[in-house]
Amino acid sequence: MHPNKLGWLLLAPTMLILFLFGVVPFFYVIWVSFHQWNPFAADPSMIFNWASNYRQLVFDAQFMASLGVTLAFVFFAVLSELVIGYLLAQAFMKDFPGKAFFRTIHTLPLIMAPIIVGSIWKLMTTPSIGIIPSLLDSWFGYNLNIGQSAMAAFITTVVMDIWHWTPLVTLSLIAALVSLPADPFEQAQIDGANKRQIFWHITLPMIRPAIIATVFIRLMDAMRTVDEVLMLTGGGPGSATRYVGVHIFKEVFPRTNYGYGSAISVIVLYLTIVVCWLLYVGLIAPRNTKKG
Amino acid sequence: MADVKIKNVIKRYGAVQVMHGVNVDIGHGEFVVLVGPSGCGKSTLLRMLAGLEEVSDGTISIGDRVVNDISPKERDIAMVFQSYALYPHKTVGENIGFPLRMAKRPKEEIDEKVRHAAGILDLTHLLDRYPKQLSGGQRQRVAMGRAIVRDPQVFLFDEPLSNLDAKLRVTMRVEIKELHQRLKTTIVYVTHDQIEAMTMADKIVVMRDGRVEQIGAPLDLYDRPGNVFVAGFIGSPSMNFLRGTIASTGGVKEFVSEAGLRLPVPPTAATEGQAVVYGIRPEHIGVGDNGTPVSVVVVEPTGSETQIFARAGTDLVNAVVKDRVRANPGQQIGFVIDPANVHLFDRQSEQRI
Repeated sequence: MHPNKLGWLLLAPTMLILFLFGVVPFFYVIWVSFHQWNPFAADPSMIFNWASNYRQLVFDAQFMASLGVTLAFVFFAVLSELVIGYLLAQAFMKDFPGKAFFRTIHTLPLIMAPIIVGSIWKLMTTPSIGIIPSLLDSWFGYNLNIGQSAMAAFITTVVMDIWHWTPLVTLSLIAALVSLPADPFEQAQIDGANKRQIFWHITLPMIRPAIIATVFIRLMDAMRTVDEVLMLTGGGPGSATRYVGVHIFKEVFPRTNYGYGSAISVIVLYLTIVVCWLLYVGLIAPRNTKKG
Repeated sequence: MADVKIKNVIKRYGAVQVMHGVNVDIGHGEFVVLVGPSGCGKSTLLRMLAGLEEVSDGTISIGDRVVNDISPKERDIAMVFQSYALYPHKTVGENIGFPLRMAKRPKEEIDEKVRHAAGILDLTHLLDRYPKQLSGGQRQRVAMGRAIVRDPQVFLFDEPLSNLDAKLRVTMRVEIKELHQRLKTTIVYVTHDQIEAMTMADKIVVMRDGRVEQIGAPLDLYDRPGNVFVAGFIGSPSMNFLRGTIASTGGVKEFVSEAGLRLPVPPTAATEGQAVVYGIRPEHIGVGDNGTPVSVVVVEPTGSETQIFARAGTDLVNAVVKDRVRANPGQQIGFVIDPANVHLFDRQSEQRI
């Protein structure tokens, strides 16, 4: 058999699966987004309604508010994860007793399903039985009630996301730091750079590809957070934590508004691409043009 | 420019002591080469000078201050690493200007100094390139440029030519020496290549196993090596060593090898019957009819000279002669040795007699 043909044959199962579970649903969602469709209504048929779902979206104050809190959530969560992740990665670069043990347990949140994380945090933050409100009360006299305070709920979801995903950032930055050559750092010391200058001029630029890749992954993930938040706050209080993922879920499932939900999904995908593109233009492209 | 004093320096890694009281005095503007086989401690000593390794005991001073507890950045030194250690994300110009930028010098001054250094090193047309777009020799020059913009008190070179091909190595050797003649800055240079040491140094420090074996001018080390190790290390091809004893025939001392071969010796303090190592450099052996008879093993003509490996008694002796010698393996020829060129070492202590 021609080696090329064999290659395609070996790839075929993967491509078939990708096509069935990736490409088809993707275009199906776009298709559905141009319809009015409630399969549980008296008339369950799909009614083609051009772009009226998208037109409706623009004037949907709830969606716009949801988009706003999502961007705030993504910004605070990803930025904190990056900073804490880097500090942890640097800490794990040093030798201390029990390092391997700590490195292992610090990755445990990663292997937990988001729905479990949401449940645990719900347990931990429920007033009168949760450990977090209890400790905050006894230490600072602060009464944490994420069912009442919008700000407390928002911050708790951010902290939960940080708790869940910082290890991913730490791991990828450890990998980047470990692979750095030692010489430029010694050279920089001799060249008169202090610790801060070494960080900004040497470390950061040298691990930049890893940082950018990690930020992209975290950004896309955080934009579509659903289950954890749904479990923890249900999008509340009010719509304080009704992030777009939660918004879509509530639009599609309880209200069975499939066409409108699909339109939101498509727009969110589009926005994610735009944000990533902006990041790319801001962080990667200037360097490449300078190089050329 | 400054002198460097290394006094009784000891280095320990945990319980293991790897450097045992090293003393070296380096004068203003001197070009000193630390040379020795792998693991002799020369790079460790250089890194201690740079402040990248701690000094376990003893003192290192640059100029008139002891720098043991001073961080690398405050030592006013510049270093060129074997790997060049260029910053991969910075252009050639940014690499060269980095030390000045860290010192927060004004931009115009940085630009001017970078251009000046680039001019000296013929890098002007490469200032906007990135290190990965350069050849080995160009990278080497960038690393040197980064060292010279600072106008430091001391330059440290850690095997800077090891990653270059043989031809480029010779060119860069000349460039570094020329640079030294122009800048007159103190240089401490580490290499395992004795040719580099011989050609570049004002003063060579030969090291072995964390100890200084001998310090001296290149030709002094060549002419009067202090012990068997230095004698074998300095000079290429390496010195011939024969083991034997000193005998006296009719009041004239001579050397008798273990196989009974008799060779002339210079006027010496060695006593009759003393067990010695007899050293003679290949280039100090001539070929002649009235010489010591030896049996040819291999003849290697290189054009400019001929290298002859011959068996003298049981020992294999190497001679390098300017003449084109035609000899077949097994043929008997005579090796002529001028006693003035013979080095005698005590067999026990391996020290020069």
